Amino acid sequence: MKEEVVVIGGGPGGMCAAIEAARCGASVTLIEDKPVLGGQLVKQTHMFFGSKDEFAGVRGIDIAKILADEVERQGVKVLTSTTATGIFDGNIVGVTTEERYSRIVAERIIVATGAYENPLGFINRDLPGVYGAGGVQTLMNVEGVLPGERFVMVGAGNIGLIVSYQLIQAGAEVVCVVEALERIGGYEVHAAKLRRLGVPILLRHTVVAALGKESVEGAVIAQLDEKGRVIDDSKFGVTCDAICIAVGLSPLVELLVQAGCKMMYVSELGGYVAWHDENQRTSVENIYVAGDSSGIEEASTAMLAGRIAGICAALSLKKERRGYDAEEALKNYRERLSFLRAGPFGEKARRGKESFGIQFSLPLLPSERTSSKKKRHLTAKPFHKGPVAVIECNERIPCNPCVDSCRFGAIRIEGNMNEVPLLEPLLCRGCGECVIACPGLAIFLVDKGFSESEAEIGVPYEMADVPKVGDKVMVTSSEGDVLCEGRVTRVRDSKKKRRIVFFGVPKRYADKARGFLLPSLAKSGRFVKMAVDKEGGKEDFLLCICEDVWRSQVEALIDAGYHSFDELKRILRCGMGACQGKTCQRLILNILSRKLGVSMSSLRPHKARSPVRPTPLEVFASCEEVPQNTGGSKRESH
Amino acid sequence: MRIKEHPILKFKKGRKVEFYFEGKKMTGYEGESVAAALLANGVKVFRLSKRLNRPRGFFCAIGRCASCNMLIDGQPNTRACITPLREGMDVRKQEGRGRIER
Repeated sequence: MKEEVVVIGGGPGGMCAAIEAARCGASVTLIEDKPVLGGQLVKQTHMFFGSKDEFAGVRGIDIAKILADEVERQGVKVLTSTTATGIFDGNIVGVTTEERYSRIVAERIIVATGAYENPLGFINRDLPGVYGAGGVQTLMNVEGVLPGERFVMVGAGNIGLIVSYQLIQAGAEVVCVVEALERIGGYEVHAAKLRRLGVPILLRHTVVAALGKESVEGAVIAQLDEKGRVIDDSKFGVTCDAICIAVGLSPLVELLVQAGCKMMYVSELGGYVAWHDENQRTSVENIYVAGDSSGIEEASTAMLAGRIAGICAALSLKKERRGYDAEEALKNYRERLSFLRAGPFGEKARRGKESFGIQFSLPLLPSERTSSKKKRHLTAKPFHKGPVAVIECNERIPCNPCVDSCRFGAIRIEGNMNEVPLLEPLLCRGCGECVIACPGLAIFLVDKGFSESEAEIGVPYEMADVPKVGDKVMVTSSEGDVLCEGRVTRVRDSKKKRRIVFFGVPKRYADKARGFLLPSLAKSGRFVKMAVDKEGGKEDFLLCICEDVWRSQVEALIDAGYHSFDELKRILRCGMGACQGKTCQRLILNILSRKLGVSMSSLRPHKARSPVRPTPLEVFASCEEVPQNTGGSKRESH
Repeated sequence: MRIKEHPILKFKKGRKVEFYFEGKKMTGYEGESVAAALLANGVKVFRLSKRLNRPRGFFCAIGRCASCNMLIDGQPNTRACITPLREGMDVRKQEGRGRIER
């Protein structure tokens, strides 16, 4: 089969690439290994941040549908349950279904294969009950099944924080979130959501062991010193039946490696990535890249990078369609992408892309995440005149749905949308639309003149157990303190599956009260610190899960003089199992880098060969067509 | 554990079907993943590892990590997290590398 543009990966980046290439008049095939399009959007029940153009304020699950519909409308050929297992000389993409193998000769290939979750090394890391946080999110939000009841979350980046919150929404308990760094990596508003539910976030802490014989029965948590080393007598145990790992993502680049693209280790982009230019084109002519496989970022930036890749691939084929000004659209997408990256949270991606030689011309924001703007209300607060919105969004996040939600023009963002929103209380009618619209659940209604002694607080609420008017609730602050008892005064429904729950509190708590706990939710965040056996068992753990290779084996070989991943692999088989190194490579390279005192960028990852997913040989035997030699460039064989 | 009520989502499930785990009859929903059906039935150990026979289970949910490889309808190394459940399925723990039944 021949095709003008083949897009590999049906997530936000791939779908947008396919849409744009087709819109420009190219014939496009989109390949997705799952049965449905959407990629990771299909499990993302939270509202997206960003700008309205990139569906801010819409839940990920709904964005998946919007984009999949657009893919269909643009006449893109969609191959689901189909895996691209190799890219070969002459722009040939090898694709497999459950039964068949076939080849597509593509004029342009756009790789948007996404990312995979980083592994974390600790004792018993292979025990059932230790899960990838993204894996748990898929299981609970797509299939409606929880793989445990009581979770410890490792990692306070956005994934760790969001999945913790969603676990509680699904009815599970979250014991605590541990984060090895000294600050929260994700958005403060996501952390505040958890703290209001009583879940502590333990900074400079990590899980050092999973406890249990057949499956997880507990976790050993330890404090880390400023150099990241475990403080021995700080260890304590907690009871849990699941440990979720959310310690970042790595770009999934095996196809790009195979295709011979120039690869670079860029820590700001999450690991090994294919070099690409501002058109998303790699060093191999005709191969483009978009989304997390071109550097770990947000879904919103993946969509724009995908659109840019799609247009550029189509334009390079001299495609044009009447009524669609592709050049103008391209300019617009580039500008939107720059805006999303202009704030402090975009700094990493910006630095990473700059190492490719890509220029950013926008005026940048201050690099401090938290705005020092203390005065968020533009005029004196007329709080006695009924409820007024209070915006507690203090970080420079690219996000602006609150501005559009206000019909009275009371909310504005000055300059770049990465800046924090400001409120004009004189214009605020206390209607609560912004409370419903804010993706971060960071806007509240406060009525300080509710009664003689009480203030009324309205908070956004997205839990299944809804309190009734008159119910007593334990009122919490965004710092996680339990303040006082409150009484529910009213509950407002909305079409966006979010309610506003109002409750009365003594007036002195009006500036603090931002959440509440119900008995059904009060188990999260409660735990007893158990003493742990100081002697402990074996301090060793498995680095390679597929082939059962211990860390001690790897370290002994490195000490004996084997200094590359490929050498270790040949002797120990680490990385040769069915996961093809996804669960061990990063850990082993980290040990190599530490032991040899060299940077990660100087180490070579292992080779990626086709098929990139385990495929039964009978599937290849089904291939009948003989590929035509299109005279593709002769590349060095690996 | 199946989620009983959810503030955002409604789960559309296929028809209720019976399947077998290690010869024991269990129920699940047609079309959901074998991994989901097993976890909903409280099963966490999906296989024993290749060399050391250590228990392994669900991990990544998207067919990438191979932690959940099982013997399903006689086919070893079948990824439970992306294999849809069918009526009467014979699901077994995989021991070691797995063998093809003749």
